[in-house]
Amino acid sequence: MNNILSLFSRRGSLFLLALYITLSVLLMNFNDPETLRGIRIVVMRAASWITSVEHKLVFLEHLQQENEVLRKRNLDLFMSNQRLQEVMIENIRLRRLLQFKREGNFKYISANVVGFGEEQTVRSLILNVGAVDSVRKNMAVVNDQGLVGKIYSVDTHQSIAQILMDRNTLVSARLQKSREVGVVAWSGNLWLDLNYIPKDIPVEIGESVITSGLSRIYPHGIKVGVVGEVKDDKYALFKEIKIKPAVNFNSLEEVFILVPADSLAAEGSPDE
Amino acid sequence: MNSLHIRYAVFFLVALLLQATLVKFIQIFTWRPDLVLIVLVTYSLREGPNKGMTAGFIVGLLQDLVSTHFIGLSALSKTLTGFVAGSLSGKFTSRAEFFLTLLIGGLVNDLTYFFVYTLGENFSLQSLIILYTIPNVMYTVLLGGFLYYLMETWVSE
Repeated sequence: MNNILSLFSRRGSLFLLALYITLSVLLMNFNDPETLRGIRIVVMRAASWITSVEHKLVFLEHLQQENEVLRKRNLDLFMSNQRLQEVMIENIRLRRLLQFKREGNFKYISANVVGFGEEQTVRSLILNVGAVDSVRKNMAVVNDQGLVGKIYSVDTHQSIAQILMDRNTLVSARLQKSREVGVVAWSGNLWLDLNYIPKDIPVEIGESVITSGLSRIYPHGIKVGVVGEVKDDKYALFKEIKIKPAVNFNSLEEVFILVPADSLAAEGSPDE
Repeated sequence: MNSLHIRYAVFFLVALLLQATLVKFIQIFTWRPDLVLIVLVTYSLREGPNKGMTAGFIVGLLQDLVSTHFIGLSALSKTLTGFVAGSLSGKFTSRAEFFLTLLIGGLVNDLTYFFVYTLGENFSLQSLIILYTIPNVMYTVLLGGFLYYLMETWVSE
């Protein structure tokens, strides 16, 4: 009798396991995150609340130190600004001569990273700004080091950013010296790959890689990283280029979201 | 629902919130412990495979909701982890049981996750395992012993 019960129990477990696996696979196939948006928002708000408490505690401790650093930086920026104004005037004059269009007309939205997504490989970022702050899907996310990623989904007061080290993120990028355009993607390593650069293009270690501006998401000239490794396989059509990302994704605390001045809404535009 | 399940529900919710927020402070390089996995293995060892995989499915689904990947992936990996951990209950000596089950459960979880994540893609599964799975599981096992002691003490009170 005990043997029969044990067998039934074992079969019951396997039946339950099969049921959950089937449900998981069905969820993957009928994936519609918008229908589950309400629950996602609740979790995001809870994460945001916890981090805001922790931020307030740390805030006072760093305030004085930060103030001193900012004063010094302010002086540096003032000096730089003087020099840049001279350069800008010269630039305007030269652009007029060459009849170039003015680029890089953006508004910045400052955001704090209040949490990470639950992926095991990389973290999507939960940001403390949302639709009420004019954040829209597919806006580029940067920091002072370079390109961080793009806005993946937006709630009223929070948003989720997808970073470069995600296999679904593709960025059209350009080698700064040769001006050759390729596609930056992540393939599971610590660095990024720059694909589709022909073998006859010279590439130097340490050369900067910037966004090409050919995308509707990422504007031109944002630093993506520097070339860390170049391989030439004699049977391959393209070079194998590894890029060290400009941004340290492990220490992100503050980021900026780029809002195109001429068009605030980029919602619905497809990925690159 | 008895008080044991309520306490474990609290453990799962706290683990989920901490995983998304404060775990970054104990991150070493890119490696982070998986607090949800620790709670799941503890619960599955105590309650067996049926309740273990049910808890794994629910908590995995919640993890999917705060991620950018497709829903169902963590649910699948955590379901299998709960089933394996629950099935291993009583298979090892009591002192080593939790650590060995957590180690095996961690590998089952990550390998399932990465296998499905990279399915049909030209993706370096090997480097994902070396760079993330092994260090993450080792870190989780190291931290797991301490948290297991705390949870069991509170649940036994």
